[in-house]
Amino acid sequence: MVVSRRRVVQVLGGVTMASLTGAGKAQFWFAPSLTYPAIKVGNVNNLKNNEPVYFNYPDARSQGILVKLGRPAIGGVGRERDIVAFSAACTHMGCGVQYKGGRFLCPCHYSMFDPAKAAAVYQGLASTGLPQIQLGIAQNGDIFARAVNGLIWGRARNI
Amino acid sequence: MSNIGRRDALPIPPTNAEVKNTVCQYCTVGCGYKVYTWPVGSQGGLAANQNAFGVDLRNPQNPLGGLVYTETMHSIVTRKDGRQYHVVIVPANDSPINFKRDHSSRGATNAVATWSDARATKERLKYPLLRMGDQFQVITWDEALAILAGVAKGIRDKDGNDDNIVVKAFDHGGSGAGFENNWGVGSLFFKGFSVKHIGIHNRPAYNSEVWGSRERGVHELNYDAIDARLADTIVLWGANPYETASVFYTEHMQPNIQGATLEEKQRNLSRGEPVEAGYMIVVDPRRTSSLTIAENIAKDRTLHLRPNLGTDYILANAIARVMWERKYYDQRFLETRTDMAKFEEYKEKSLKVGTPYAQFMAEVERITGVRRADIEKAADWIAKPKAGGFARRTLTIYEKGIIWNMKNYDQVAAIVQMAVLGNNVGRAGTGCGRLGGHQEGYVRPPSPTPGSIYNGGPPVNVDKYLTDGKGKLYWVIGTNPYLSTPNNQLFRKRIRERTKALSDFLGQSGEPGTTQEWVAKILEGLDATNGLFMVVQDLYLIHTAQDAHLVLPASAWGEANQTSINCNSRLLRLYEKFMDPPGQAKQDWEICKLMGLKMAELYRAEGKEEEAKRFEFGKNWRTDEDVFLDGGNSYPNNAIPASEEATLPAECYKGVTYAFLRQVGQQGIRTPVRVENGKPVGTLRRYSVKFGTKDGKFSWYGTDDWEGYPEEVAKYLEGEKAQKYPFWMTTGRAQAIWQTMYNDRFLPEKMNTLPMPYIEIHPQDAQRLGLRGGDLAQVWNEEGNGTFLVYVTDSVRPGMIFALQYHHLGTSNSMTPGYTDPKTTIPWYKGTRVAIRKVRGALPDLQNSTSFLQQNKFD
Ligand code: SF4
Ligand code: FES
Repeated sequence: MVVSRRRVVQVLGGVTMASLTGAGKAQFWFAPSLTYPAIKVGNVNNLKNNEPVYFNYPDARSQGILVKLGRPAIGGVGRERDIVAFSAACTHMGCGVQYKGGRFLCPCHYSMFDPAKAAAVYQGLASTGLPQIQLGIAQNGDIFARAVNGLIWGRARNI
Repeated sequence: MSNIGRRDALPIPPTNAEVKNTVCQYCTVGCGYKVYTWPVGSQGGLAANQNAFGVDLRNPQNPLGGLVYTETMHSIVTRKDGRQYHVVIVPANDSPINFKRDHSSRGATNAVATWSDARATKERLKYPLLRMGDQFQVITWDEALAILAGVAKGIRDKDGNDDNIVVKAFDHGGSGAGFENNWGVGSLFFKGFSVKHIGIHNRPAYNSEVWGSRERGVHELNYDAIDARLADTIVLWGANPYETASVFYTEHMQPNIQGATLEEKQRNLSRGEPVEAGYMIVVDPRRTSSLTIAENIAKDRTLHLRPNLGTDYILANAIARVMWERKYYDQRFLETRTDMAKFEEYKEKSLKVGTPYAQFMAEVERITGVRRADIEKAADWIAKPKAGGFARRTLTIYEKGIIWNMKNYDQVAAIVQMAVLGNNVGRAGTGCGRLGGHQEGYVRPPSPTPGSIYNGGPPVNVDKYLTDGKGKLYWVIGTNPYLSTPNNQLFRKRIRERTKALSDFLGQSGEPGTTQEWVAKILEGLDATNGLFMVVQDLYLIHTAQDAHLVLPASAWGEANQTSINCNSRLLRLYEKFMDPPGQAKQDWEICKLMGLKMAELYRAEGKEEEAKRFEFGKNWRTDEDVFLDGGNSYPNNAIPASEEATLPAECYKGVTYAFLRQVGQQGIRTPVRVENGKPVGTLRRYSVKFGTKDGKFSWYGTDDWEGYPEEVAKYLEGEKAQKYPFWMTTGRAQAIWQTMYNDRFLPEKMNTLPMPYIEIHPQDAQRLGLRGGDLAQVWNEEGNGTFLVYVTDSVRPGMIFALQYHHLGTSNSMTPGYTDPKTTIPWYKGTRVAIRKVRGALPDLQNSTSFLQQNKFD
């Protein structure tokens, strides 16, 4: 599967990018539009297929899930382009989603998200996919979270 | 990363933002929403006292209750003053329907579906369009209505009646309609014109979809949402609320199955009555998500009955027969509340008490394919009295699986009779009615056909009337028959032929330049070609409009004040205007009023004062509320005691004003409304005292025997055709999209989720045909063809596929036969036979971006 990035993101070193689209009278800011920190969330050598790792990003009050899917994914990093991370807050009403059977499932009203498809909602009441956390990998295998592509539930702005 | 532009910060409404109350424009549930608008250029702050939400946004919101403000809930619109405004549309926190600000993926896109010249919704129609040969040209309302009125009057003058004036129009609430527009449309066609060839938006005739219930004395909207929380058992029959009435499921049914409403049961039900977590019975050919979620919660309290297509009424009668055998009924109730003379007919024909039980059940098993043990279990769960002799409380909800089944009348009648036999209508936690699809808002002068074949019907099949070459003017309002009629492929071909015949005629020696010449040439062409003059009144240039001669731009939800009721509580609320319509688009009621006045002008010019007056029905309508009140006055006297509520039309709102609705806000008022001491009073639940018949007694009916399938489908079950078309096809809707996707096709979130119409196929069949998720399949029969994306799932059983009924890229209705129930003229959209093959090649971009995981698997 060929997945092209919408935007080339600067690599490593924790530098983040803000992009601003649209000008004139009315402006729409597309994510990531804010300045995000780079935070280490794991190391490729410690990841096992389908065993999710939880972390906080971009701050202590927002949980993310990092998972190696074992199959290529939109926005996936690593040699197999299969390592992805998302906000764990369901975009419906904020419950924590679970990684189960190769997909994310929300226990509250059963929204389901496909991790290989940018966590698009394929069933349920949620209106957008889980915000995808952009990842980068350092030479030593450390995985960094660098930005959030989508609005974390319960916030008017991610940061 | 995704192919959809995402956002990570949303504008915050400042404290001085305008706040309006509204209700979701989409499904039957009618979730409450709040709308915040303010001019672009300012924003509120994060502190609670700095924003119009009054919410502290410095801290994340609490799950399940905190403010819901997601990426699709904001947009920017331009008003008539030329300035741009932020529009934020979020679930209300004070609604009795969507507790805790619940909402679905459909309602969440109310904001991004608004018209804007900067987004894909710029496709909205702004001005009337007139076909000039191969293209449309913009014209003014004055010109458009002069041509339309000229043609309509010319046809009437020649015929001396309105038989050749054919209409297809919405009759619902929500999405741009409501009581105001219904009264406008009804007044034009039933007061001004006397149109009898009129069909309702989703079917070929002007009929109730549930005469089988109404003619028993039970209007289909009789329960309240609370009954789903109080019921001992919920029966979902041909209804999949998790996907089509999502919040009704998640806030009212799911908690009951989870046992989260026990306290509410204790508070509301009889003293000493045993209560426990709810049971759910799902009757459906598919393992729907409504079923599999319930199974996930409590497998032992969930039952799935999977009758062969078309056999549901036999199954309902069989459950009732078990109830009869096991004495799960209240003799006193039957004697005092129901017509015992007619009960004998029911016993004989539906329950077949003359046939020994074992023989009867064996026959039922053979016809329906459902095991006797399951039928008996269903009867126990529906009507077996509880400990202490308390009557069980069962809420039975049906929808298109029953309505758009074969033999519509008998299907609906069988289910409501099963419910009434168990005294399961009119008590807390009971009811038997529709789930609903869209919201309602019906108020019209009397329609041409009063009822089924047993009550002055059946109504004319207007689709057939047109495809047979009859009718001259075809006026389509707020519906897209090129997707929505049965036998769709044939319908499209015939309408295209007939409209094109007229277009070609109009082009001979050049299209006319003056209005008078247009009218004259159209009238001449209609006679010379047997063509059709088609008018489409809609939000967009929909599929049907591509063949129209005249296109009229209508305004949408939010662009005017309107009123509607939801289906699960009959809750009437005011949907406040928060933006202007694009260009010169107008509310349907205003278009109808102006058309009427134009007709009146033409008649007056000829000195025909009587005719002129008939068409001036709207001359005093200046505001939305004028129309609302005018419609309300058409209801009968409602200053009557509560015990007489059954005599009122279900939607009666006489005595209610906009001021009253503003005051009650999201709490609304439940129709039918009565007036007590000069004040409007609502009705929580219907038929507690009397049923809606002349004598107030439930009117039983003996259903037909099983007679096999109608010719249109039976032809596929024999000989060569049985081999050629080996699959049953049933059809329905999907969670993510609304109706024909008239808005959704412009939203990337929706198009990414459902880029094409799809079928569900069982893994065994898929393997045999070499199909995998994400492949394309061609599905066809003698009626028509369609190309569908493939989902492989155990939702369907081997030998049967499910096809999405409406998608803007195609419809399963192309394969649906022209059969309608002879008693009601309601089609059978949900059953026919088809052939399937894999389409060679694939669409890799689509396979990469869209998910093909199984949608009914929650464990
Ligand atoms: S459940 Fe229905 S009414 Fe509620 S938000 Fe969804 S579409 Fe709108
Ligand atoms: S909070 Fe996740 S589906 Fe509702």
